[in-house]
Amino acid sequence: MNVGLEAGRGLHYLTVAAAARAIAHKQLSPVELMKAHLARIEKLDPRLNAFIRLDAEAALEAAKVAEAEAGAGRLRGPLHGVPVGIKDIIDVAGLPTTCHSKILEGNTATSDAVCVSKLRQAGAIVVGKLSTHEFAIGGPSFDLPWPPARNPWNPDHHPGGSSSGSGSGVAAGLFPMALGTDTGGSVRNPASCCGIVGLKPTYGLVSRRGVFPLSFTLDHIGPMTRTVEDNALMLEAIAGHDPRDPGSAAATSGHFGAALDRGARGLRVGFVRHFHEIDMPAEPEVTAALEHVVRALQSLGADVRNIHLPSLGEFAAVNRVILQSEAWAIHGEWLRTRPGDYGKLARRRLMPGAFLAAGDYVLANKRRLEMIAAVNAALAEVDVLLCASSMDPACRIDRPAEVERTYPRQARTPFNVTGHPALAMMSGLSSGGLPLSVQFVGRYFDEAMLFRVARAWEQVSGMDKKHPPIG
Amino acid sequence: MDGPARFVLTCNGHRLEGMQAMDKELMQALARRAGLDKALAEFPDDVAAAAEQAAKVMARIKVPADPRAEPWPAMRPGDGL
Repeated sequence: MNVGLEAGRGLHYLTVAAAARAIAHKQLSPVELMKAHLARIEKLDPRLNAFIRLDAEAALEAAKVAEAEAGAGRLRGPLHGVPVGIKDIIDVAGLPTTCHSKILEGNTATSDAVCVSKLRQAGAIVVGKLSTHEFAIGGPSFDLPWPPARNPWNPDHHPGGSSSGSGSGVAAGLFPMALGTDTGGSVRNPASCCGIVGLKPTYGLVSRRGVFPLSFTLDHIGPMTRTVEDNALMLEAIAGHDPRDPGSAAATSGHFGAALDRGARGLRVGFVRHFHEIDMPAEPEVTAALEHVVRALQSLGADVRNIHLPSLGEFAAVNRVILQSEAWAIHGEWLRTRPGDYGKLARRRLMPGAFLAAGDYVLANKRRLEMIAAVNAALAEVDVLLCASSMDPACRIDRPAEVERTYPRQARTPFNVTGHPALAMMSGLSSGGLPLSVQFVGRYFDEAMLFRVARAWEQVSGMDKKHPPIG
Repeated sequence: MDGPARFVLTCNGHRLEGMQAMDKELMQALARRAGLDKALAEFPDDVAAAAEQAAKVMARIKVPADPRAEPWPAMRPGDGL
């Protein structure tokens, strides 16, 4: 059977595109594919804790239906029969949405979030709900009803968050794609820590309806996959206007993979060096890997020039003030009446909103406008920005001081503040065998450009062929 | 939790002229005003850490160039209101 398997790899490392293609051509059974993933989950999840709730029986039943449909030539869509994991702040009908918190223990979703519904319409099969930081902000924590997810490259290390189970599970081959959410970098952080591809789309491109909010004006839902092509496929399935999401953009979904194979020749790339050289000096290995990406793109014909944006520290502060003000509006009542039902980290990160004044929130939003203008001005000069994602490889998960030190050392929050699309992926491996990362940032709704440059880097580097040494 | 917390009160990103490090009483008053009595009783360190964090982030934001600029998103009558 030649279905696009990498040499020596099992079905669990089949890409979304290869699996969907093989199913469509009746070369691969969705049941066989699902069984391979369920076996992988059974073997590895006790070490990785990617799942809060595995829905194996329903997933297998759905795979049997998908197999019958494929056999009859009735494909639901471009993801027909392909397994997907869902971060547990996103509703899946009939399954719990706990947000990894005691606060919502026992809460069951009555309908699918729009993004889940769209994935199902495209033919994807939900395998279960995935670990997150508590309410997408408090983690990694050991004082919650479920343990935190682990990094498959080294289970002693943090997989990033808050979409921790999504990143861990995609990298380990528990499922080929997952949904994450990103308010201050929570898709791109686990993508960076786990060496996969994570996209925060343009604000409003993917409906937030059915997703538990953290911060109304900063929340994004994004695809997490092992390849750039898969990411584009997944985005095409979940993007689109939703009249019932007040933040939904009028722009409609498009063919985001249209420019995938056009290469980097002639692209103007703006390198935001000051993020990792001055604002938050990165680990030397991170810097070296970023320089390697730049040289590779130049060798492919890209024109790379330096770009200056506001400082990372101020971007982070604006992000925090807006996030904490809006999160307080959501969590205030529970924090007043049930503070002990939150873990310590969530409690500490959600309560600052009680101490921020209305004027603080307005001021942060005014600065946000100026920051949007600065990024737009930069993107008028170049086609895409290149910058760091994480300033360090993933730290050990059991060292709170190290988590506290490294967690804010990142360049992701700027693009939650401005709403521009941003993609993080692997730039190399550290001497300790952990993924390093790079981030590409594009103009509003120009995800196709991000996929183009990311694919160029992926092809020249072979990053999509690197998998964690687990199992 | 003894002694003054290690932060100052801010207003619109500026440290208030003459305002000293926020003392325990002021922090507690603000927490109670927000209805956090239970948290204050059960998790006083967490409440203090949250107050400190709020003050720190505001101190890092520059005052916008134009004070008359509207915050985002703007009101759009007829479009969801």
